[in-house]
Amino acid sequence: MEILDCLGKRCPLPIIELAKALANKGVGAQITLLSDDPASQPDLIAWARMTGNVVKTLDPKTFEVTKLTN
Amino acid sequence: MALPHIFEVSWPDPTKLGVDSKSAAILLNEARETFAGHLGVRSDEISFLGEPALGFHLGISGLLNESNRLVYSNIDRMEVFAIAEGHPNLALKVSDVGQNDYSVLKNSDVATLQLCNRETGTIQKSRPENCAGLFVDATGSGTRISLPKNWSTALWDSTSWAGPGGLGILAVSKEAKWQNPLPHLDGRINPGPTSLPLIVASALAIDSWVADEKNLAEKISALNQEIRNFISTRIPDSDLAPGEASHLISASFLYINAEQLVTVLADKGFAVDSGSACNATNMQPSHVLAALGILTQGNIRLTIHHATTFEDVKNFLEVLEATISELRA
Repeated sequence: MEILDCLGKRCPLPIIELAKALANKGVGAQITLLSDDPASQPDLIAWARMTGNVVKTLDPKTFEVTKLTN
Repeated sequence: MALPHIFEVSWPDPTKLGVDSKSAAILLNEARETFAGHLGVRSDEISFLGEPALGFHLGISGLLNESNRLVYSNIDRMEVFAIAEGHPNLALKVSDVGQNDYSVLKNSDVATLQLCNRETGTIQKSRPENCAGLFVDATGSGTRISLPKNWSTALWDSTSWAGPGGLGILAVSKEAKWQNPLPHLDGRINPGPTSLPLIVASALAIDSWVADEKNLAEKISALNQEIRNFISTRIPDSDLAPGEASHLISASFLYINAEQLVTVLADKGFAVDSGSACNATNMQPSHVLAALGILTQGNIRLTIHHATTFEDVKNFLEVLEATISELRA
């Protein structure tokens, strides 16, 4: 699975980079996002709800993102 | 009474003898009666605090003994979290609309009740019953919501009624089992003295604020609705925190750096606060937004003041929409 390393990057950069990385991918695409920003966990959950995508928290710094909408 | 005059007449120590001190004592008593009337407590239950946040410790720790458990909410103020760390405790998790389930309360528990969250405007509708003590955080609601009958201690912040900052009002019910948690030699709750000019100024402020609030409530609700409608329909990828208080709105925008947004808005003449991590001294996102599941990035907190006009709101929303699309570009 593609890994997007955002370790050390502050909010809102990890989510901006995630959205960019997903922009040209089709529905069903998956990305593993690495982020140690304290806002990433709550914000990925909110992002998934707002955009209709799915985020699974594997550990506090590792998130599996599945694109479900364009 | 204008502020310079208040300072002229309220410099003497109201506890001393002498004509000037007596008139200062009269001013203090009048202020106490004014607050008691508006806040729904007895005047002899009121203490003034020069440090409003100290009221959390006084109000909560004074109700706890070794055997009590402190039951609080995960959208309570951080001051409550800090007190809970030193005691057996249970943090209730709010529902997605910010409501607590107090059914887990035991008779021996001390509970907290935040009438209105001052960050999001979330109003707590459920009420803790049958507990050993109840601390009410009224710092976000001011005079807007009355105390429940079973309150033990309650805290207000003078800024809630547009009074001067640096003044808190703590009420300890005559029926509460409360012991002063601070070292003390007499019956006074705080070491004091608290600034009499601030107390008098705040008493004048609460009088005029309550009178205005009645006349302006409808306008403020309409402004709130206008802002909410605009944000949810005109600004894509926005997230509004659930909140029923008409003077507060908390909104978050995806892909936005809150620090940049707050700075640009300030440059254009709009003072807004933020719950985003980049705007916080500890670099942590707002625990209230996280508990409610609301986006914490690109967050702004808006307060609608009595003097806010439809024109102000229209200008603000235009600037907000333009700024967000510029920052996202």
